[in-house]
Amino acid sequence: MKPYEWMVKYTPQTEWIERRGILMWLAEVFGGLGAGLYLVALYFNSLGGMLIGWLFIIVFKGGFHLAYLGKPLRFWRILLRPQTSWLARGFIFMGLFIVFGAIQLIFSYWLPGTAGEVVFKVLAATTAFLVAVYTGFVMNYVNGIHLWNSALLPLLFVLTGVLDGFALVMAVALFGGNIDVIAAEAASRILLITTAFLIAIYLWSATYMGPAGRQSVMELIRGSLAPVLWIGVVLCGIIVPVSISVSTYFAGEASYPLLITAILSEMIGAFTLKYSILKAGMYAPLIPTSTY
Amino acid sequence: MLACKQEHFLPPEIFWCRLVISETGKYPTVTKQMYPVLCNHCEEAACVKACPTGATTRREDGIVIVDYDKCAGCRYCLIACPYQQRTFYADGSKEYFPGQGLTELEVIGKELYPLQPGTVLKCNFCAERVDEGSAKGLRPGVDREATPACVNACPSKARTFGDLDDPNSEVSKLIRDRKGFQLHPEFGTEPSIYYLIR
Repeated sequence: MKPYEWMVKYTPQTEWIERRGILMWLAEVFGGLGAGLYLVALYFNSLGGMLIGWLFIIVFKGGFHLAYLGKPLRFWRILLRPQTSWLARGFIFMGLFIVFGAIQLIFSYWLPGTAGEVVFKVLAATTAFLVAVYTGFVMNYVNGIHLWNSALLPLLFVLTGVLDGFALVMAVALFGGNIDVIAAEAASRILLITTAFLIAIYLWSATYMGPAGRQSVMELIRGSLAPVLWIGVVLCGIIVPVSISVSTYFAGEASYPLLITAILSEMIGAFTLKYSILKAGMYAPLIPTSTY
Repeated sequence: MLACKQEHFLPPEIFWCRLVISETGKYPTVTKQMYPVLCNHCEEAACVKACPTGATTRREDGIVIVDYDKCAGCRYCLIACPYQQRTFYADGSKEYFPGQGLTELEVIGKELYPLQPGTVLKCNFCAERVDEGSAKGLRPGVDREATPACVNACPSKARTFGDLDDPNSEVSKLIRDRKGFQLHPEFGTEPSIYYLIR
C-alpha cells in the first residue's frame, strides 16, 4: 500500500501480523493449540498431552506475547483493567490456567484419584476453555475491522482449538501415549465437517458486516490471500484430513504415514487459518462517501 | 502537521496530525477532498476501553491521553481505534538526518518531551498548553496560549477549538449552523472532532 492510499482506500491492519506482529499470530495459534490439546488430553486422561498443552501455553503463547510487548517488564500492568479490556481478561485467564494446570499436573502425577485432582482438573479445564475463547473476543471487540467484528469468531477459535487438540493428541498417541486413536479420529471427523461449515458461514456473514468486511472476504477468496485460504485452510486444514479420516473409517485403522500426514496438514490449517483472518482484517476509508 | 511535530518534538515517521487526500469521480467532474485527521478524542473511546493497563484515559475535559509510564506497548488500542490515529513508537534512535547525529532541536526535544520508545503515541490536543493556559485563567480556543498548536498555526483559520458542552461556544455554533459531521459515527465512539463542508 502506498503512503497516500493510507485510510483513503481499504487499509489492512499490519500491527498484529507484520514485522514483530508475527509474534502475535504465533501466540494466538499456540494459544488455541495448547488449550485445545489440554482439553482433549484431559478427556482422554493423557498426562503427557496435558503437560504438552500446558507447556504450549506457558512457553509459546506466554513467551510470544511477552516478546511482542514494547515494554515487556510492564506485563503485570496488563492484568489491571479486566473490567473493560478483553486483553486484560485474557492475560488473567492465561495466568490462572498456568497456576491451576501446574497444580493439576502435580496432583495427577503424584496424587491421582484424590479430590484435589478432580477440583483442579475442573478449574484448569475451565480456564483452558477461557484461554481458547478469549482471543476471539479480543478480535471481536474491534468494530473498525468488520471481518473480526463477528460473534462467530470466538466460537470458531474454540472449535478449531479443540479440533487441533484432537490432531495433536493423536500425535501424542504415536509416541506411546495411552489414547484411543479410533475415538479421537471419530471426533476429528465430526469436528472437521463442523469447522468447514462454520468457516463458510463466518465468511458469508462477514460480507454483511459492512463494505470493509466484504473487501476482506474478497481478498481472502480471490485476492492475494486466496492461496493461503484455499491451499492452507481448505486443502490442508480440511480436505486432506477429512479424506484420510473417511478412508480410515472404511479401512478400519489408519496407517502411521497417513496419520502423520493428517496431523501435519491439520497443523498447517491451524496456522494458516489464523494468519488469513489476521492478515485480511481491514479498516474502512476515513473519508465518508456520503459527501462525494 | 508541522506545528504539531514542532510542539511535541515528534520523532521521524511519527505524526499526530495528518492530511488525508482523495480524488473521486472522473474528468471533468473530479472532486478532491482533503481531511485533516487527528485523534478524535471520542466520548466512547474504543482505545480507552481496550487499554489493558489503564494507560489510556479520558480526562474530565474530554481529552484522551496516554500515560507513557503505564503503557506496556501491547498495541491493542492501536488495533481498536477505527480511525487509526495511534502510532507505535518502536525505534527511539531514529534521527532526522541519519548518520549525522541528533540536531540541537532533537536533543532539546528529548529532554523537554521525553517520549518513550516501546509505547503508543497519539495526539493529546496539546493538553500541556491547555492546562497551563487554563491555570493562568486563559480560555482554550480563544486565547492562543491555551489553544492547541495546530489550531494556532492554521493560516486559514480552518480549525476551531472549544467546549462542545457549551452551546454558546464557537465550536458548538459552527457545528449547529453548518451541519458539522463526525467521521464514521456508525462506530458508536462519539468522536469530538467535527468536520464542516464549505
